[in-house]
Amino acid sequence: MPKAVAAAIGAYERSGRYDAVADYDAALMLTFQKGNELAFQELVERNHPRVIGLAYRFTNNAAEAEDLAQEVFLRIYRARHTYKPTAKFSTWMFRIASNASLNALRARAKRRDDVSMTLLAGEEDHPAALADTESRSPDHLLHQRDLRETVREALRALPEKQQVAVILSKYEGLNHADIARTIGCSTMAVKSLLARARDNLRNRLFRHLGTASGQPSDG
Amino acid sequence: MASPVCHWVRSVLSAHLDGELKSSTAQAVRRHLKRCPACRDHLRQLEETWRLLDAADAPPLRPGFTGRMMKRIVEEKALEQMEARLRPQRLRRRALRAVTGLAAGLAIGFALYGWTGRPHEPNSPVEREVCRHVGFLEDADLLDKIAVIQAIDQWTHAPGTTNGT
Repeated sequence: MPKAVAAAIGAYERSGRYDAVADYDAALMLTFQKGNELAFQELVERNHPRVIGLAYRFTNNAAEAEDLAQEVFLRIYRARHTYKPTAKFSTWMFRIASNASLNALRARAKRRDDVSMTLLAGEEDHPAALADTESRSPDHLLHQRDLRETVREALRALPEKQQVAVILSKYEGLNHADIARTIGCSTMAVKSLLARARDNLRNRLFRHLGTASGQPSDG
Repeated sequence: MASPVCHWVRSVLSAHLDGELKSSTAQAVRRHLKRCPACRDHLRQLEETWRLLDAADAPPLRPGFTGRMMKRIVEEKALEQMEARLRPQRLRRRALRAVTGLAAGLAIGFALYGWTGRPHEPNSPVEREVCRHVGFLEDADLLDKIAVIQAIDQWTHAPGTTNGT
């Protein structure tokens, strides 16, 4: 651990404000707050895959996800003087990223250019899709592509808060308490959001796919 | 038709799958699932739904993000420095604007006062008549005061008064 980071951790531990040892990113941010730019660079290096991932889950567009990630780190950079490690750094970062992504989606909805964006985000230029073409049968590929599109559609059709809760839970592995802190609601509300989201997704996905397991059970 | 117990179990299945139920509640849910095939089926569908979400492709990562980001930070710093340099000028400009506004306000205020405070000549016959009456009343008032003063004066100078000479 670099000396500067260790010093920042020590200072905050002595003040008893937050367990910065458990949160290396918070310690990096504190080091950056004291003027060490390398700490910010490390913060970006460590966290950018998660931020781009989150933005991509919302937008389904790689270029837009990277732009959003840059925006998120820029906001973090600008907040260096006011940052206080009162909660996990990742919670704060995900809150900024979710808000930025949702704002981008709202702006996109306003522009009503969803169709062109979907075309831009098509699987043809996606590395995973290219790798698929080499190893899978056409039937399988078609099924995979349909499934991917159906899942995207089902996620996109969820109300905003449910969408955020699902993305943070499923793809970022956050527990209910952390999701609650990220979206600013109670843990009970997150439980209810996720339950409703799962039901909505189940209804949509099972209806679209018509899988062998049949229709959603009604009891 | 699901029983109230089935209804309750299904409402907490999502939290159960996330491992977010208290151990006693989780135990009760497990007990119910053992003897209720419909709720077991519901649980299976929820599990499958969650698993289907894996089909959404993983985000592609273009190498060199940190480098691009730090370049953007350099631009941001240049902007911040420029803003810091412009801030005193902007403050001066704002102060100048405030002083100019105040001076203009005062000038307009004085002009208005001068315009409304200036005595003006009566124009219409009615106005002239009113002015004449007011003038008469003012004169009458003055005459009354003079009469009172003269009366006092006469009384004080009259022979036989104690103060008289």
